[in-house]
Amino acid sequence: MKETLLEIPSHPKYLSVVRSVIKKLCEIFNVEDSITEDLKLAVDEACTNIIRHAYRDDFTRKISIRLRVSRRRFQAIIEDDGEQTPEQALRGRDLDDVRPGGLGMHFIKKTFDEVRYERHKDINRLTLSREL
Amino acid sequence: MKTDAMEIEVLSYRGIDVLKVYGDIDLYSSPGLRKNLISIICKKPGTLLVDLSNVSYIDSSGIATFVEGLKNMMCYGGRLKFIGLPDRIREIFSFSRLDKVFEIYDGIDQAI
Repeated sequence: MKETLLEIPSHPKYLSVVRSVIKKLCEIFNVEDSITEDLKLAVDEACTNIIRHAYRDDFTRKISIRLRVSRRRFQAIIEDDGEQTPEQALRGRDLDDVRPGGLGMHFIKKTFDEVRYERHKDINRLTLSREL
Repeated sequence: MKTDAMEIEVLSYRGIDVLKVYGDIDLYSSPGLRKNLISIICKKPGTLLVDLSNVSYIDSSGIATFVEGLKNMMCYGGRLKFIGLPDRIREIFSFSRLDKVFEIYDGIDQAI
């Protein structure tokens, strides 16, 4: 599995960089377009959650994203040193309760087979994996 | 015209306001979208059309912006209508169950 390491500032303008890198990696490994779009959205949402919840819109912090891709598997390991992600942000809202917010985690869980959140020594780590 | 950076055009079609969005709607661009959307809704139009035919990407912050717009318009009986959804955007609206609350039409003539 090849690994690509991205370290971006926690500013929303860098989210498009993450999406672009995922798109290029998926092209290299011939990932289906619809899956590529799901992966872009899910990893983007994970970073958005970090900016909003872990860093509380502090755009001067860092987000580390390790992308491990092969023809069979895609894994993203996303780390930040912000506050512990609140339980509600990890659950998402009821989809039928239509109101602004609370959808990001649903996109993540729809896309990935494995969603694992851990906190170790002030670091939040979200591991997202799926078969391709 | 199609770029990743979001652009917005506001125009009038047969007296109806049309908000035409281009590019990617994400956490970076959605505040700009919200500003435009809310400034139109503040004038309480009976109908507002949102043309998404040139939108290549939308995330939860973009969806939240439209949900807020819809709720604001519903308060006074206004109608927020979406036209020209690319398949990918339609799929996201459907997964989010928003196709049940948003009025979605293929094109501008079906929407008015």
